[in-house]
Amino acid sequence: MRRAILALSSTIAGLVLLLSFKIHIPGSTDAGTTAASGSAAGTGAGSADMAGAGHAGHAGQARREARKARPPHGAATRTVTGTVADTTYGPMQVQLTLAGQSITRVKVLQRTDDGAESDQIDASAIPKLINETLAVQSARINAVSGASYTSAGYRRSLQSALDQAGA
Amino acid sequence: MIAQPVTAAERLRHAEPVMGTVVSFDIPAVAASVLPRVLRWLHWVDATFSPYREDSDVSRFGRGQLPLADCAPELAEVLGECAVMRDITGGYFTTTPGGVFDPSGLVKGWSIERAGRLLAAAGVTSYCVNGGGDLQCAGEPAPGQPWRIGIASPLQPGRVATVVTGRDFAVATSGSAERGAHIVNPHTGRLAADLASVTITGPRLTTADAYATAAFAIGDVAMGWAERVPGYEAFAVRPDGRTWQTSGFPDDSR
Repeated sequence: MRRAILALSSTIAGLVLLLSFKIHIPGSTDAGTTAASGSAAGTGAGSADMAGAGHAGHAGQARREARKARPPHGAATRTVTGTVADTTYGPMQVQLTLAGQSITRVKVLQRTDDGAESDQIDASAIPKLINETLAVQSARINAVSGASYTSAGYRRSLQSALDQAGA
Repeated sequence: MIAQPVTAAERLRHAEPVMGTVVSFDIPAVAASVLPRVLRWLHWVDATFSPYREDSDVSRFGRGQLPLADCAPELAEVLGECAVMRDITGGYFTTTPGGVFDPSGLVKGWSIERAGRLLAAAGVTSYCVNGGGDLQCAGEPAPGQPWRIGIASPLQPGRVATVVTGRDFAVATSGSAERGAHIVNPHTGRLAADLASVTITGPRLTTADAYATAAFAIGDVAMGWAERVPGYEAFAVRPDGRTWQTSGFPDDSR
């Protein structure tokens, strides 16, 4: 169960980071003019790429690209939907809401529904992982200090999410 | 000398389970060959200083079975650090928190600080070593950028309460969020519950860690005390969510 959450964590972080990479490359040249373009599919992102923790290094680079960008003041919001990614836990799809180039909301459009265990993992893990992804991205942090965690506590820590995203 | 990273992408992250927690490293990828030596150090500390291992030097010394002279010389060094911290915190930092000899409150921070020094001695000038929530950082994660360390919110899991920035500095946090109330005020014998968490920043993790433990035991009035401690700054979250910090606390608004 714990391992499953870990894997899911890196999957979602990968999804979000890869999506933000694809958005930010064109967005960095014409931020503002692409605002309010409505729903745009994150096409071209192969599901194997999106689900793979093996691309975390690439995703880490993407995040750093994203970190450089700051939202233009008063930028309009837009919604971007990723392609469906086949994960170990079934098909998943992520929808991002952006203000300028900053992710303000992450929504998982599809969840696994092929087993009680998967449901349980989703129900308990996804809101927390979304929060963590947003917290880490918005704060642009390298590491986290907090009350001493045990090795079990580490698995659900923000530091663990950072270690995986940057690995 | 090891070349400094040109881009942030050339970083290596490693998470090592040791000392009952996980120690996370963020170092230049080119420094990978140094890592095994640093990991060996941490596991040696674990074996030598663990109060949970019957045969560790600390356990045998604590039971009076092994004289200090026969222990690893690092134990005398740790005891010296403990004595200094006990004195400058007015006894709020102690090696006998529950009446039993246990220097663990200092050992983790001290061993992480030393891990950083081992990296530095091998020519690594940019690193962040995070020992279960207490960190020693050096240099910059990328050229021109300071380290940005999130302080975990003790009240909202997964959120950061504030962000501190710096180059060569340590960050230590004491709180009850992870393991429940476990820090005793040695002067009253009661569990410290005034604060949800206290964070101390300063040059050395050994000192910052011990100060964080002491400040948590002191409670809300630690702000006045922390303001007078030279070289170290404090940030605290109260159980009601309100926060306070000393005037020089290096949060990212500075």
